[in-house]
Amino acid sequence: MNQDVLTVRDLTRRFGSVTANDGVTLRVRPGEVVGLLGHNGAGKTTLVSQIVGLLKPDAGSIEVAGIDAVADPAAARRRVALQAQAQAPLDGLTPRTAIEIAGRIRGLSALRARTVAGELGEELDIGDWMDRRALPEGGGLSGGVRRITAFAMAIAAPTPLVVLDEPTNDIDASRRRRLWAAVRRLGDQGSGVLLVTHNVVEAERVVDELVVMDRGRVVAAGTPSTLRGSHDTDVRLELVLAPGTQDPSDPLDRVPLPVTRRVRAGRRVLLTLPAAQAASAVAWATGRREQGDLDSYSLAPATLEDAYLAVTETTPLAAPEPTHV
Amino acid sequence: MSETTLTTDRRPLTFEPVRVGPGTTYLTLLRWQLAQIGGMLPLLVVVQALMAAGIIVGFGFLIPDIDAPTALFLSTGAPTVLLMTVGLVMVPQGVARARTDGTFTYMRALPVARPLVLLADLTVWMIVSVPSVAVAVLVAQLRYDLSLSLHWPLLVGASLLVVLTATSVGYAIAVTLPPMLAQLISQVLVFFVLLFSPITFPTTQLPGWFQGVHDVLPVRPAADLLRAGLASGTYDVVLRDLVVLLVWCAVGLTLSTRALVRRG
Repeated sequence: MNQDVLTVRDLTRRFGSVTANDGVTLRVRPGEVVGLLGHNGAGKTTLVSQIVGLLKPDAGSIEVAGIDAVADPAAARRRVALQAQAQAPLDGLTPRTAIEIAGRIRGLSALRARTVAGELGEELDIGDWMDRRALPEGGGLSGGVRRITAFAMAIAAPTPLVVLDEPTNDIDASRRRRLWAAVRRLGDQGSGVLLVTHNVVEAERVVDELVVMDRGRVVAAGTPSTLRGSHDTDVRLELVLAPGTQDPSDPLDRVPLPVTRRVRAGRRVLLTLPAAQAASAVAWATGRREQGDLDSYSLAPATLEDAYLAVTETTPLAAPEPTHV
Repeated sequence: MSETTLTTDRRPLTFEPVRVGPGTTYLTLLRWQLAQIGGMLPLLVVVQALMAAGIIVGFGFLIPDIDAPTALFLSTGAPTVLLMTVGLVMVPQGVARARTDGTFTYMRALPVARPLVLLADLTVWMIVSVPSVAVAVLVAQLRYDLSLSLHWPLLVGASLLVVLTATSVGYAIAVTLPPMLAQLISQVLVFFVLLFSPITFPTTQLPGWFQGVHDVLPVRPAADLLRAGLASGTYDVVLRDLVVLLVWCAVGLTLSTRALVRRG
């Protein structure tokens, strides 16, 4: 039997001539936090809308905790909690009441819902605002407190699958940390979490698996370390081109270094290479800078962001190298 | 992340899908929706009182030497104008706003039977609307010293049916049309209800063809039904009006439910 809390297979959804999801396949296992990364318009929200039954796929299948979400969206919705990207309707409510209501809707008793609201308020450090009422036009509570309340509403009752769409927008750094800890706790308790974000750096710290979408398709998938590159010892040489100059790394054989990946974004060029080559890389870049080809350069450990940019980069200059999935 | 102290129980949880009873779901949703209107409710009643005064006193100025039957007709029509205004104007504007700011989508993504979302929404609008009848009657009494003969069962039944029809048709407009268009249409409907509908003046004042149009629209039947409940000795219930209202109500509810349930 399929143990996954979410299985999406060959999912396709079109809006007129635009294919928002093109044969998307992904899975989330119990206890796993899966990051869904992609630029704006990559098709992430379309995918989420189909999981919770707001949109119907043109082709493909979705299973939520063993339920066919395309055939029986209402049953699937009872097994998934969503924190949407739009703010939750909180006007007139205090965070405490809102979390209680969300728990009640998912079947918690009145007493249990009240207890959970108190616990989550403490866990997410919003105790000072728990009894302050949200007012229309954004009054009463800040955007960050509203967002973290919406997060608490989504996790108030245990569900097999939790979908979080950009949960940390507007939230300050210390509460972000609390929120990520709570996301990890959900995983430890057996929920599967699908975390939709375009914040690569944050995602890297919390996810077990990553799925990268670009223009409706899955372009890479794997653990953060697989995606980052085959070796954790890789370094990234970042070149900032001088305005109006030729890119000294194009074509790549002009570079006397074993470059494993090259991405260009505007005047920035990112070269990934083995750490053992760091000294030669600096020597080469220094020379290019003296020639006037470069404004500046920097050398740092390779990050997931480099890998992410490589698989989603679309400028013709920088055809991405195939990524191991 | 380890520096964060967790207070919540970390034991692995089991996920027995819980089916919440429709009664609990409805009451919880109602609590949620009511909170959103919450503080606005007294203000809405004041606005309705002012509108009632505007219709009953203001329209009275248009008619020199107003006699008792005309005053009675005008006054017994005022509640319908208010109910129609709430249903066909305030409801579409509220729902259109909910569609624009994401609330509508949020509610549709909840693990509840979506018709219950509609039911809770309509209940809230009914709570907002119903004071209209009392407010309008009160203003009419103060202005014209009328002798109404209330037929309570008819008055209560008619009020609820008219409110439900107006709000469900307004809701249907808001969920079927693009939000901007829905808001625009609701503005036009104010004028249609106030000036071109035989609510505060007898239908015989209209040309024959327009009377025919009003026989199948919900506004005149709603007004006549409520009138019969407020002055039962003077006006009678026409069965056809009841049927027309029920049909409009059913259409409004069907379109609204469909828009909530349907996946795009």
